[in-house]
Amino acid sequence: MSTIDYTRELSVLEGKHALRELDDLIAKPLETKPDKKFYIALAITLSMTGLFVLGLALTFYYGIGMWGNNIPVAWAFDIVNFVFWVGIGHAGTLISAILFLFRQKWRTGIARFAEGMTVFAVMTAGLFPLIHVGRPWLAGYLFPYPNQHSVWVNFTSPLLWDVFAVSTYLTVSLIFWYVGLIPDLATLRERTNHKIKKVVYSIFSLGWRFSNRHWHHYEMVYLILAGFATPLVLSVHTIVSFDFAVSVIPGWHTTIFPPYFVAGAVFSGFAMVQNVLIMIRKIFNYEHIITVDTLEKMNKIMLLTGSMVGYAYAMEFFIAWYSGVEAERFAFLNRAMGPYAWAYWIMVTCNVVSPQLFWFKKIRRTIPVMFVIAIFVNIGMWLERFVIIVTSLSRDFLPSSWAYYKPTLVDGMILIGSFGFFFTWILLFTKALPVVSMAEVKAVVDGAQPSHKEH
Amino acid sequence: MNDSSPKGMGSQKSSDKKELWKSLNDYNSDPDVLKFKHDEFVEGVTEDFDPSKLSGISRRKFLALLSASAALTATACTNYRDKGEIIPYNKRPEEIFPGVANYYASTCNGCGQACGILIKTREGRPIKVDGNPDHPINKGKICAKGQASILDLYDPERLKAPRFNRNDISWKSVDENIITALNEAQRDRKEIAIVTDRITSPTTKKILDDFVSKYPNTKIYSHSLVNDEQRRQACLESYGTTEYPSIKFEEANVILALDADFLGNEGNYIENMRKFTAKREVVGKTDFNRLYVAEGRMSATGMMADYRVSISPSMQYEFVMALINELTKSGSTISLDSNVKSKIEKYSNSFFNKIDKEKISHLVDDLNTNRGKAIVYAGDTLPKEVHIAVNLLNEILGNTVLYDYTSLSKSLINQSTKEEISILIDSMKNGKVGTVIHFDSNPVYILPGDYGYTSALKNVNAVVTLTEAENETSTVSNYTLPINHAFESWGDANTCSKVYSLQQPVISPIFNTRQKETVLLTWISGDANSYKEDLYHQYLMNNFNATVFVKKNTFADAKTFWYSALHDGVVLLNEPSQQNKFNLTAFNSIKELADGNGFTLHLTESYYVGDGKFSNNGWLQETPHPVTKITWDNYAAISPKLAKQLNVEMNDLVSIGVGKTNLELPVLVQPGMDNKTINIELGYGRTVIGDIGKEVGFNSVLLMSKEFSLSPYIYKNATIKKFDGTHKLVSTQEHHSLDDTFVKDFHRTRKIIQEGTVEKYKKEPNFLHEEKEKLVGITREHQYTGLKWAMAIDLNKCTSCSACITSCNVENNVPVVGKDQVERGREMQWMRIDRYYSGTPDEPIVSNQPMLCQHCDNAPCENVCPVNATNHSPDGLNQMAYNRCVGTRYCSNNCPYKVRRFNFFNFRDHFADAYYENDLTSLVHNPEVTVRSRGVMEKCTFCVQRIMEARSNAARDGKTLKGSDVVTACQQACPTNAITFGDANDPNSDVAKLREHNLSYHVLEELYIKPNVTYIAKLRNTHSEEI
Repeated sequence: MSTIDYTRELSVLEGKHALRELDDLIAKPLETKPDKKFYIALAITLSMTGLFVLGLALTFYYGIGMWGNNIPVAWAFDIVNFVFWVGIGHAGTLISAILFLFRQKWRTGIARFAEGMTVFAVMTAGLFPLIHVGRPWLAGYLFPYPNQHSVWVNFTSPLLWDVFAVSTYLTVSLIFWYVGLIPDLATLRERTNHKIKKVVYSIFSLGWRFSNRHWHHYEMVYLILAGFATPLVLSVHTIVSFDFAVSVIPGWHTTIFPPYFVAGAVFSGFAMVQNVLIMIRKIFNYEHIITVDTLEKMNKIMLLTGSMVGYAYAMEFFIAWYSGVEAERFAFLNRAMGPYAWAYWIMVTCNVVSPQLFWFKKIRRTIPVMFVIAIFVNIGMWLERFVIIVTSLSRDFLPSSWAYYKPTLVDGMILIGSFGFFFTWILLFTKALPVVSMAEVKAVVDGAQPSHKEH
Repeated sequence: MNDSSPKGMGSQKSSDKKELWKSLNDYNSDPDVLKFKHDEFVEGVTEDFDPSKLSGISRRKFLALLSASAALTATACTNYRDKGEIIPYNKRPEEIFPGVANYYASTCNGCGQACGILIKTREGRPIKVDGNPDHPINKGKICAKGQASILDLYDPERLKAPRFNRNDISWKSVDENIITALNEAQRDRKEIAIVTDRITSPTTKKILDDFVSKYPNTKIYSHSLVNDEQRRQACLESYGTTEYPSIKFEEANVILALDADFLGNEGNYIENMRKFTAKREVVGKTDFNRLYVAEGRMSATGMMADYRVSISPSMQYEFVMALINELTKSGSTISLDSNVKSKIEKYSNSFFNKIDKEKISHLVDDLNTNRGKAIVYAGDTLPKEVHIAVNLLNEILGNTVLYDYTSLSKSLINQSTKEEISILIDSMKNGKVGTVIHFDSNPVYILPGDYGYTSALKNVNAVVTLTEAENETSTVSNYTLPINHAFESWGDANTCSKVYSLQQPVISPIFNTRQKETVLLTWISGDANSYKEDLYHQYLMNNFNATVFVKKNTFADAKTFWYSALHDGVVLLNEPSQQNKFNLTAFNSIKELADGNGFTLHLTESYYVGDGKFSNNGWLQETPHPVTKITWDNYAAISPKLAKQLNVEMNDLVSIGVGKTNLELPVLVQPGMDNKTINIELGYGRTVIGDIGKEVGFNSVLLMSKEFSLSPYIYKNATIKKFDGTHKLVSTQEHHSLDDTFVKDFHRTRKIIQEGTVEKYKKEPNFLHEEKEKLVGITREHQYTGLKWAMAIDLNKCTSCSACITSCNVENNVPVVGKDQVERGREMQWMRIDRYYSGTPDEPIVSNQPMLCQHCDNAPCENVCPVNATNHSPDGLNQMAYNRCVGTRYCSNNCPYKVRRFNFFNFRDHFADAYYENDLTSLVHNPEVTVRSRGVMEKCTFCVQRIMEARSNAARDGKTLKGSDVVTACQQACPTNAITFGDANDPNSDVAKLREHNLSYHVLEELYIKPNVTYIAKLRNTHSEEI
């Protein structure tokens, strides 16, 4: 009977690759002219972004009335989209920072892309707090700056905390991403003969010479940044959840929100990363770098966070009942049985039921199935925010002011447009920067690291 | 940039050399140089300078373009706060202080009740109407219609000049033509018909009389869509006079209202509400009256009932007869003859089983034990026969002591009977009528179609309509003559025997309009040149001297008396009055009324647009119906059972048929309706009206007929059937099915509405607070040591009349948003009256609750605003700094009362329904209140502008500001004084006492947000301790 060494590190990449081959493979999209498919894809995302611009133009010109928002449902698609995109932005930093600290080598194939996605998702999310205000031209009031009115911002408002949390997160994610890119930019600098590219890469690679000393500093900075970014992963969505948890509205006023929101954010972030990576690895032939093993691990995280989210749903109901607060009890019953029950049950199916299929190894490793499940998860997570925000507001304390919310065409334009905005950035990213970290991948090639066992 | 620069100078062409040369060119004798020397100035240089001929962009053109584009940019960058030119007074008019309001006493023309009003003007511009406190009937209060009527003054769709066959014409030619026409009619012995609405002014009546003496062929016809003619006729037959007394509701222990909306919109409801709630006082008293309501629809009065039974209006006669039969068993105050007895014996008390045996037995007991201290009151829409029977019933019970004979309802010109109108129409058809003058009336809209009035008008030579705006009648007239709005007019009124009130203009006519009486006076004079603007003013003063001054017997001279009367707005008359004896033969000769087989159609007046007069008033169209909360529509209200039978839901169209006419309109399922009754409001579906009233509601006048069997408003044997299609009704409150257990009785379980009964309260005065938990805060809270503003609302007194809402709208510049925005849940009213049903769909118990910003001490809206736009003042106000608001709407989300309102659009311009986008309507704005732009949150401010005014007045006078110095707009308007406002920290203030009252509670107390609007729990005066 042969014994299996469970402590053995599994190879992250499939097969043995020459380091040069990896460089070639990863740099290929940057060194070839975009093909027709790319332009078609870009045309689609740009058209969607056009809808975004049109929707915003209508909103800015006429007012928030172009949306379906009303009293009592004063927040709807605007904040749903905001929370959704902030959530999407969670996977990147989690993968690059937390998994880095935990020495999860399998992250190397997906970290760069996830980080990039984080930056774009947070950029998209960051638009919503600015555009959702009634007078966007005065959105500057949200920032604390010395002004002639002698009015300071209100530090007790979670919305202000959001401004800080999201802007900090964006800054740190961007720096983290950029620092990780420096060795790759240097590699690209070496590879290219194109004059302009050479200059650009030279500038942004900050004089990287692959020296041992550089690597030493780099590793230190990366570690520090990872340590710095880790609490942010948890804090951003915690603070976003405070928008609701700090309020008095039944269905919002819940202490479970911070962990529940973070779990949900990681859940949706992983789903989105998985969705896009499946396409990327196919298109750019990265199957050996972004392996099915890696995807399986991501699916496991989705299973974990999905179950946490499911637990949170159940616990919300339990606490609502256990609290004995009538309004609280009704808020949750109303989610499941009220006029928005359709949204609730789609959400439960997508978020709680569908990821449970990942208990089966076969499903975890079958790409088309996991792709569909991840899409469901994204739909479910968008609806989760819809359920929390709209359902709770539409029926709060006084039955006299209850009202049903219906989105308008402009709401739809902005929702679709935000996807267009996000994917436009993603597309440009795939053609402008290496979507997989060359330096890190080369470091996990079999035999790249000194091993003590075999010698 | 001339091309004539000597560029060819370098070329050598000539060999003609010179001896002396200055340059090589000179030496070479270049012909160009020679030419230069010859012509001192280059060709063209001496010509006129013309920039247009300049090629490309010259320096000048460049500068011109630069400055033009700079100017253009500058214009594009105009400040959106710039409201245009402001012109100060060059010479200040004596009575006007800029920034200080003037008040003028006048009389309201909104309905026939002629309440006394005070019109607030700022810099000569009327901006608010309130009741005249000196007026003995309305005592400083005025209804929603009166409050909002100011918007009509600034209606841009008012007629601006006289018109003849749709073309503008001068007043002078109008006068000349019509005088000729009148003379011709007189000469040809043709009739001159003056068709008027209800006349409340004795001086106007005198002018009409003068008109008749000048043109003796004249006949006066008076007809109003909603009138009290059935009551008057009954009074005439029972007591020999059409002038009926008002009721001393304040002395009645038991009131039985039969389809009588005396707290809603019948009779002088402002007075009735005050008198009724006098016996709903809970401070230091528990002396409650008991209100029984028997009605087919659900009226505002029905909502206030302690006991309510639904009974079709066509069964009221039998009901009253059965009551008479039952109650005479225990004796009668007046002696009854055998005829009476035989008449009532047919109606046994077994009839009561059809209604509700238990409630009726309570009623009979109460009426019996409270003889002389009870009143039975029948509604204006009920047939004359019911009124006569009710008169008898009150006589039998000795309730006539509650008739106030010092306050008789006068009828200056009786309503024309249907025979009179039919004769007029026949004469018109036969060409016997020369001229018809519609004297501020709209008969084409209000007369039932089977009269054929419109077609008959075609046979009249001169049809003259005096009106403020185009209406159904004016479009079929030759002459359309624009008349002054009431606020531009002189006038008087004497609708109640003890009150004579005066009306004075507060602004000169905005358009080329004339006072309607002056127009008649000009025609009476027979000379078009005799017109003077003050013709009627003089006439009124003379008539006042001749009729009022002489009676008053004062020491003052006529002029002083006139000015003091004008200042007060009202003169009290001591008309001798006498109590007439009931005429039993009136009762004996009434025809028996039996219930029909089919459905009964009950037409009632709209609460807010009245008889259609206010259809173009956005504020009133948007005021939610007191019961259904529907805005911008009328509908067929039917019972839940009937809806189930017909398989229809709210918004489904039904076809209502009376005789041969049918009307399709949407259904509203109204709990508490009688199963055989259909209720539709009158006053909607105007066809010729301004933009506001266009396509609003359905014209139920079409269902009226001159051949009615019961009364003009009640039709037996009506049919109802489902019709294809739907029509969206929009309400400000979501409609939940009453039997939906999922959401049932939330207002009680959540303690939003807390109620008790009088019995319970007498036994346990503190019942409301017994189970109350003590709440503790975990933060250090602000201590309010000085003055702290607070409000108390007594739910025992609120009748849901919505006067507070409209008063608030006018005071605080609340915009009208239109039906589509109300549908989207974006109405802007700062105040609303929440209506909750409990009980069963057949017998609902209704609770009303005015809801406005609660100015919480721990306001949840304040700590979530990221920019500090909403914050707390040291005197306890939850403030909004509009300038700072960026519109995150977080405050609204976190408001548990949902009283915040957001400007989703700029409701004043660049909005599809921009209704304010004209120079005129904005004049209605209160200059003390900011007009909010789009994207800004707003809400009730506790009328902070009034607080500030009181504070600066106190500072000016060197006094300390007291809570009682401030009256909020809603408080000022509330006809029942249900709203109290003041300083919570002053233990002697009314509001502080109410906060400590046994029945006081706060809505959502358990959230510990410490609201400052205290509600006084409603007590129901039933026989049990349970509700």
